[in-house]
Amino acid sequence: MMIDPKARYMKSHEWAKHQSGNIFTVGLTAYAIEQLGDIVYMELPEAGKKIDREGSFGVIESVKSASDMYAPLGGTVREANTEVRDNPDMLKKDAYETGWLIKIEASSPAEFDGLMDAAAYQKYLETEA
Amino acid sequence: MRQTPFYDRHSALGARIVDFAGWQMPIQYPQGIVAEHLTTRRHAGLFDVSHMGRFCITGKGAARFLRYVLTNDCDQLAIGQAQYTVLANENGGAMDDAFLYRPTADKFLLVVNASNKDKDWAHLQTHVSGFSDAVLEDVSETAAMLALQGPQSEAILRSLVTSGALPQARRNAVGSVTVGSTEVCVARTGYTGEPVCFEVFIPAQGALAVWDKLIEAGASPVGLGARDTLRLEAGLPLYGHELGIGKDGREIPVYAIPQAAFAISFDDPNRKFIGRPLLEKQAQARQRYKAGDFSDTGVLPKVVRQMRLLDKGIARDGAAVYYEGRQVGGVTSGTMVPCWDYTKDGDRIELRDTHAQRAVGLCLVNADVPVGVRIEVEIREKKLNAQTVVRNLENRSGPVTAAVL
Repeated sequence: MMIDPKARYMKSHEWAKHQSGNIFTVGLTAYAIEQLGDIVYMELPEAGKKIDREGSFGVIESVKSASDMYAPLGGTVREANTEVRDNPDMLKKDAYETGWLIKIEASSPAEFDGLMDAAAYQKYLETEA
Repeated sequence: MRQTPFYDRHSALGARIVDFAGWQMPIQYPQGIVAEHLTTRRHAGLFDVSHMGRFCITGKGAARFLRYVLTNDCDQLAIGQAQYTVLANENGGAMDDAFLYRPTADKFLLVVNASNKDKDWAHLQTHVSGFSDAVLEDVSETAAMLALQGPQSEAILRSLVTSGALPQARRNAVGSVTVGSTEVCVARTGYTGEPVCFEVFIPAQGALAVWDKLIEAGASPVGLGARDTLRLEAGLPLYGHELGIGKDGREIPVYAIPQAAFAISFDDPNRKFIGRPLLEKQAQARQRYKAGDFSDTGVLPKVVRQMRLLDKGIARDGAAVYYEGRQVGGVTSGTMVPCWDYTKDGDRIELRDTHAQRAVGLCLVNADVPVGVRIEVEIREKKLNAQTVVRNLENRSGPVTAAVL
């Protein structure tokens, strides 16, 4: 799946999905993962870390480059997916379910509505990315 | 943007194409950089290197000209041999590094970096006029160039030879054979650290047929991405990183790279060549360092060392390097490279089917930073443990290469 209809998106190719209450899962889109090529290293935050909306929450590195990953919502990190961190190849198989990266407890859940929906992200990929 | 004769092949294979020094080149194929690196170490990788600059030097004055503009001595180059060499400048820095091939008695072929080709050409042009009977010709477009590297490359190439014999199994040997109906020049050279390695010069009109035959015979296409990880793992310098202008804006002295010892010849005391006075001083500094004397590091303050990260992370170009608490230089090239797991039996090794990865690099550090010591690399404001190493890759009988762990 290149785009998950249930997720919302950032121009920098992160996605967020509502899980329950104020908890959102966050990951990187299949498009971004494909563009990166072989992913060889990731850094994810510890649980409890506070992050700003659009602030860097981690780093993903391919052979050729290191890229920051940006938070679609501000809040507190509740969990990081260490299994994916230690086996980044998993991202290629499924970017949106098993490939989630962090769970954030959002301080302003309404930020979710300000993100691009699937159709808008699709259009963004076709025109700008 | 220019395309090599193999551009359509790269596209058909689904390569990701990037602009590189004015050329549209494959950075990777769908297999990816990691798989392409590993297949080169185990089987055979096929690289389109037709973007590299190729100059032909002929005429009675050819050797005299080359002995002046290149650091190595082509008079020591037997017919059917090649040598690593440098186009030095008067400051003892490198305009470029290059390989000089002598396929026949009266012809030299100089292969230079694509990114420096125009600069090199202009430089050589200004000097060639001072040498009567030396003819300098740009033959980059008349012949394609492929590299075939890895343990299986000899069997693959031999299976395609219709007449003639591959050059003797000695590093840098050059010869000519016919592949199908195309006569090609073959050299046992390369940029991967593989002991079994070939570079093939093919007349442009026969190039596609040779590519197709090599692929059919089992060679795997490898892009520029893995070309870089392979040379890095082997500790080979890349102009713009370990040679040329350094991160501090200063010229990197040629003797900063350990390979300078094979690229520069002072054997003939009467040979004048560009940069010689300063290069000799650098060579003397190297000798003093070898004896443990670091009292005068003026002409060669920093040297290139191979390194390996001990902590998790990746050291990249530009990261600061610390030794005993003070900054001693920076990383010049670095990334994560894959390596086959293997089992060891004396000098023989058996590659397994699994692979690991390690973060390796090259760094330009103060000349007195030894090999085999703990250093730290600053990555995103954190200092990670690393060490300087003799090598990250070694030759084993097979012949194959193996990761030094």
